[in-house]
Amino acid sequence: MLSSHAELAKALQSVLTPDAVLSGDAAERAYDCDAYTVDRNNPSAVVLPRSTEDVAKVVRWCNKNDVPFTARGAGTGLSGGVLPAMGGVVLSTKRMTKILEIDYDNRCLLAQAGIPNKRLSDAVKDRGLYFAPDPSSQSVSTIGGNIGENAGGPHTLKYGVTVQHILGLTMVDPLGEILHLGGKLPGAPGYDFVGIVVGSEGTMGIVTEAWVKLCPIPKAVATALISYRNVADACRTVAEIIAQGTIPAALEMMDHGILRAVRAAFGLEYPEGTLAMLLIECDGEPDRVAHEMESVQKVCKKNGALQIRLAEDEAERAKLWTARKKGIGAMGRIAPSIVTHDGVIPRSKLPEMLEFVYDVSWRYQIGVANLFHAGDGNLHPCFYFNDRDPEQVKSVVAAGEEIIRRCVELGGSVSGEHGIGIEKVDLMPLMFTPEDMEFQATAKRIFNDGSLCNPCKVLPSQKGCVEHRRRWRGTAW
Amino acid sequence: MDRRSGVIGYVDDRTGERLNFTLPLSTRIGPVMVETVSRVSAQNMNDILELTTHCIRCGFCLESCPTFVTTANEIESPRGRIYLVRSAVEGLLDWQKDVRPHIELCLGCRACETACPSGVEYGRILEGAKEKLEQDRPQFSKLALLNATTRPSTLKAQLAMGKLLPGKRIPTPISMLLSKQKPEVDQPTPQKLSPLPPLIHSQLKPVQGQVYLLEGCAMRVLFPRVHEATRRLLRRIGYEVLETAQGCCGAMHAHNGYIDTTKSVGRELLIAMSREIPVIVNSAGCGSTMKDYGNILEDTAGATKFAKRTFDASEFLFANGLMEELASASGLPVTATYHDACHLAHGQKITSQPRELIQAIPRLTYVPLQEADMCCGSAGVYNVLQPKMARSLVERKYANIEETGARIVATGNPGCHAWIAQAAQEHGKKISVLHTMELLEAAFCGLEPFMN
Repeated sequence: MLSSHAELAKALQSVLTPDAVLSGDAAERAYDCDAYTVDRNNPSAVVLPRSTEDVAKVVRWCNKNDVPFTARGAGTGLSGGVLPAMGGVVLSTKRMTKILEIDYDNRCLLAQAGIPNKRLSDAVKDRGLYFAPDPSSQSVSTIGGNIGENAGGPHTLKYGVTVQHILGLTMVDPLGEILHLGGKLPGAPGYDFVGIVVGSEGTMGIVTEAWVKLCPIPKAVATALISYRNVADACRTVAEIIAQGTIPAALEMMDHGILRAVRAAFGLEYPEGTLAMLLIECDGEPDRVAHEMESVQKVCKKNGALQIRLAEDEAERAKLWTARKKGIGAMGRIAPSIVTHDGVIPRSKLPEMLEFVYDVSWRYQIGVANLFHAGDGNLHPCFYFNDRDPEQVKSVVAAGEEIIRRCVELGGSVSGEHGIGIEKVDLMPLMFTPEDMEFQATAKRIFNDGSLCNPCKVLPSQKGCVEHRRRWRGTAW
Repeated sequence: MDRRSGVIGYVDDRTGERLNFTLPLSTRIGPVMVETVSRVSAQNMNDILELTTHCIRCGFCLESCPTFVTTANEIESPRGRIYLVRSAVEGLLDWQKDVRPHIELCLGCRACETACPSGVEYGRILEGAKEKLEQDRPQFSKLALLNATTRPSTLKAQLAMGKLLPGKRIPTPISMLLSKQKPEVDQPTPQKLSPLPPLIHSQLKPVQGQVYLLEGCAMRVLFPRVHEATRRLLRRIGYEVLETAQGCCGAMHAHNGYIDTTKSVGRELLIAMSREIPVIVNSAGCGSTMKDYGNILEDTAGATKFAKRTFDASEFLFANGLMEELASASGLPVTATYHDACHLAHGQKITSQPRELIQAIPRLTYVPLQEADMCCGSAGVYNVLQPKMARSLVERKYANIEETGARIVATGNPGCHAWIAQAAQEHGKKISVLHTMELLEAAFCGLEPFMN
């Protein structure tokens, strides 16, 4: 192990180029966490490689010198997946933002890992195509990060999550070998390694390039914003829409906590007395869209909708979606810090679960706002608090654990789309037996048999992590 | 928004109504480490700290930031800089060593404010941080540059002396002193004033009101034609400019950490323009600061009112009938595009009015510009202080403009005007840069007088 951070940075400069290495107090601070801010830890240095070969060089160097390394995209993750838990090197993909090839005939595209999700769609928009997974952070979050977390988004309900849209990967494995998995064409024979790597949260290596599927932009889209007097009416609407067999492209819920923030941020209007809102979108062939929207509206009315507002044009539709997608971001208007949870429950249990969330918030005296993918039963309770009060930070962590526990009890899951990262690593035993987890660890060892590549993530009780934990747990500013 | 009160809540931007949350949250912000030796008061440090706490690190600002997009380095991003400033206030980082270089590389374009869902007032954090850095360790060369640029008589004298120097760039020793880099900026040359056809008053709308026009410091020396065009356009919609002796608005000082100077020249401007009539500004950077006088000159009577009667020229002309006048103009058979000055688009949230006015010019073909609201790198005196970054941004801007196929690019700020014009000249003079006011006036009296 090299003795000082400065020495380490100097050595890395000779592996790449001097301008590709960041070091010093400011760099260590700026890269000590992502959008999950409760746990933090400084890296020793940050590198900005330009190519797969650059990444491989750094990883080989780290192996030779026994230095841990962690990949990072835009740092918009919500579970601390890119926290350098054991220090070491952060490998940022932000200088790898090129689209390398577009195959319009076969509707796919090859891009470097650091490109923001939305730029993929922008690049092929003129040809009537787009990249379907649309996490709320898509204007900044990278395709590499989306692959790491198997990111979802509002349109997941109909179009599936990231893994369904990735055809092939180029990655650097934890020892520094360059691997090509899958390819441009779907359905390659043999085991589906792409499926294992997508969602592995950067613990099986560093994805550097990906072939992604492109989908045709739907011919027609209808978007409605429906207000309710209470959360229960909105929840019942969701369960009934799904039960009757309609699959909207998106089915999103916002409660009054979020509504206040988005009204302040984006001027989103709603009737007096609104305590919950649904954002419902249907897309596809024009006839079918009209029919679906009609039956959706019927269900809404039946369940006591206060107001149904249909977006009249693309501009209004875009405005509604801005409010939804930037809703969590707008929470900074209310409090200095937030933690957004990510539990999943069966849709029929939504009313019961939300009541529980409000109850937890009341008991811990921590504010909560909910904005989530109701159609998937994917809950995002967003706790807002003052992170300079250690008591509040502790309460937030404890309240979150209660909520996740309840999700599992109701037959759900500890995470829908934000990943386990560092945040929920201790909650894995809620869902899995020791045997289950050992089985997962065996799968991980196919790619990663060491302890250098993004250590301490996903699986609990890894070698060395317990001692290190004290350094970063709850080090919130 | 005031979270020091101990109750979590916020003020609704539309209604001004204060909303508190139903939960009795105890969120009083604890004691804060403040360096007592600083001349910047503890109160100011607390204000900066309070502003930084609105950032929840979502990262939605990253792709809007020209320096992040160029460097891919998060220390050169809004989220990173806010985190550094907050850490320095909290005593975890060193202001001069850890924070200064990254604050200095920031353009102050405030594109991040447009991208930020949480409404973080980055511009105020930046100005506060710069003030702290300059007060602790003033840079006299920078101060000299500011003074030279913002005093019309000094600027004129320097321009005259500049003609005696060889080459067209600002001299290398001066650049090295300011930035430790080679110069990229040409010495500024004042616009030539070509005679314009006289306005025939009997054919114009009767005069219905008076307005002030900010002549500015550098603007009046370098861009007299823009003022002339603005005066004529105002007259076309029935407004006369009330001439008054006036000085600098202090925007450059505020943007560079010398807020005290802004306060004193701002107060003088308030006196010079004391009548309750609209103040028209055709320089985006100045307008942005003047609209913030309510904050900057909080202790001066009438500052908030003054800010409220300050309008960008495009904003005022659009709202007061220029669209109708343009319908009967002879028009221009040219292809044109529009570049958003940062302090217009992000500082004042004015993006549609200038575009609508330009598109209302008969016979003109308007083409949209990719990355129209990304900074061109001029950013006040930034291109003198950070030549390398400024150069790479203006090249990116020029490439985007060239891509549109337009022959004319319009913009609403003298800094962008001069900097993009330099790039256009270097690339073979295929594209002309005009102030939005010049292009609009050209719709009535032809392009000829505005093309040299």
